[in-house]
Amino acid sequence: MRTYFRNVYRGLITILIGMRQTWRHLFTPSVTLQYPHEKWDLPVGTRQQLFVNIDDCIGCYKCARICPVDCIYIDTVKAKPDEDLGKASTGNPIRQHLVRFDIDMFKCCYCNFCTTVCPTDCIYMTDKYETSVYDRSNGIYHFSKYAPDYAAKLIAEEKAAEEAKAAARAAAKEKAMAAKKAKVAE
Amino acid sequence: MFNNIFKKQRYYFDSEGLLVVDMAPSSAVHYQEAVKAATQDAGFAGEDMVINFGPQHPSTHGVLRLEVVLEGELVKKVTPHLGYLHRNFEKHAEHIPYNEIVPYTDRLDYLAAMNMNWGYVLAVEKLLGLTELPERVEYIRVICAEFNRIASHLMAIGTFGLDAGAITPFLWAFRDREKILDLFEWLSGARMLYNYIWVGGVARDLPDGWVEKAREFLDYFEPMMVEFNKLLTHNHIFIERTAHVGILPADVAINYAATGPVLRGSGVKWDLRRDEPYSIYDRFEFDIPVGEGMYGPVGSAFDRYWVRIREIEESVKILRQALDQIPEGDVFEAIPRKIRPPAGKEAYFRSEAPRGEIGFYIRSNGSDIPDRVKCRSSCFVNISLIDEISRGQLVADLIINIGSIDIVLGEVDR
Ligand code: SF4
Ligand code: SF4
Repeated sequence: MRTYFRNVYRGLITILIGMRQTWRHLFTPSVTLQYPHEKWDLPVGTRQQLFVNIDDCIGCYKCARICPVDCIYIDTVKAKPDEDLGKASTGNPIRQHLVRFDIDMFKCCYCNFCTTVCPTDCIYMTDKYETSVYDRSNGIYHFSKYAPDYAAKLIAEEKAAEEAKAAARAAAKEKAMAAKKAKVAE
Repeated sequence: MFNNIFKKQRYYFDSEGLLVVDMAPSSAVHYQEAVKAATQDAGFAGEDMVINFGPQHPSTHGVLRLEVVLEGELVKKVTPHLGYLHRNFEKHAEHIPYNEIVPYTDRLDYLAAMNMNWGYVLAVEKLLGLTELPERVEYIRVICAEFNRIASHLMAIGTFGLDAGAITPFLWAFRDREKILDLFEWLSGARMLYNYIWVGGVARDLPDGWVEKAREFLDYFEPMMVEFNKLLTHNHIFIERTAHVGILPADVAINYAATGPVLRGSGVKWDLRRDEPYSIYDRFEFDIPVGEGMYGPVGSAFDRYWVRIREIEESVKILRQALDQIPEGDVFEAIPRKIRPPAGKEAYFRSEAPRGEIGFYIRSNGSDIPDRVKCRSSCFVNISLIDEISRGQLVADLIINIGSIDIVLGEVDR
């Protein structure tokens, strides 16, 4: 019975001690924000939505190769020898057409590896984080500046050039074989 | 109802035939005995009931499913069912290079991602024989790990209070944890999944003014912890609720290979930071808190909670020393350009994460992709104790027991 009253007493006292703390906190400024209307400032270098400054990209594939989840898709077409695509702002010459540069932000794990390896610092993380979309396909961001039909034309040209090259190589090979055969027959 | 409190009999049936148990000597032990006696007298015994607890239950701390065999209100057997958060970490790690695995280790124990990063990186560094790191890197790593330990323990004690029915301490713990996450966001750019500690170094140097801000936080935080203790730790109702449940004797804890606060709560003084000092932990002065059994038997849920509270204080001590001693230097100079350990080499390294020992076993095959990565998870081991400590107790105490073990399902399922 004494235990009972002692427990009641202690329970009450310790609750009152706690209540005093909470009561004091009633008069301290609030630590929360009304989110959609107010927002916290993000620090410099925060890791949110990715962005690619495509004019500076030299198509080196470094970012696509280091990405742990493989969510950067790059396709390039080599520039012709007489074509000049200019230089990136860091001075690295651009030697290929970037016909495709897509980032699937749904797969991205925001690990920041791609931005650290980029030689021209053209891929970076912005402070934009409200990027929810209604359709999964809208989460794939296209950064290439080539129109689809022009890109297709470039790809077709490269393919044709390659085929021509391959055909030439095959012809040369055949010729060499024939010469060899003739030699053996002799 | 009130008359019955002073009667000898500890239970009775009210006018509608429902069982009412007196809380007369209001301790959990007596309550359990009373319920046991009542269920046996009333002929409830022998009827087992199996209930599924989780995987969507808020107090299972994640997607954990417990299959509980109940006899009345008493727990006869608990079987944890895992795998709802399985992400195939170990197999996945066999297909990606060493440095790209680091973001995956973030997702093991996502409440203490720095410690997970560090555990993995230490294993790779052992594999590479990379022991001489710049002083500044070591200090930054210790600071990050200890801050993350505080954040993780704040989460643990906050949700533990929530399991016991206290909401305010939970919010206060989150408020302070948020400040640590702000510091980390400034440091690494991310709030929870940092990918900050890299093989041979760290991802970014400390920003200007970070050390001062960190000290400011510690000055703010210590009085807050005192308030927190007044509010929850020394609350008599909370003590009575937790100090008699989930008793884990030291020998059982050792047999189950429990680590971290679960082991130390049973009175075993075992902490890798002191017993196998890695990195620069041998330079700092700190205590290893153990469960003392202040209000009940040693190894109770309260003891595990108390160990976490004390560990927060010890982490603050380490942080103050580290922030004072941190030297200048280059944090990137030791980062290897190519991580390619010789074929057939293997390494195992264990380190002390907030929830226990995290160990990584890595075997190399000569390429830049590991042959095998095995992760020894502390939460996976600790959750196997749930049957041992909950058997014969009430179903309401089961919630307390899960909370006191403090599991993170990301690490259990991997
Ligand atoms: S942030 Fe990481 S996951 Fe996302 S695109 Fe870059 S490398 Fe890939
Ligand atoms: S690393 Fe940079 S330059 Fe290279 S492909 Fe990626 S974005 Fe372009």
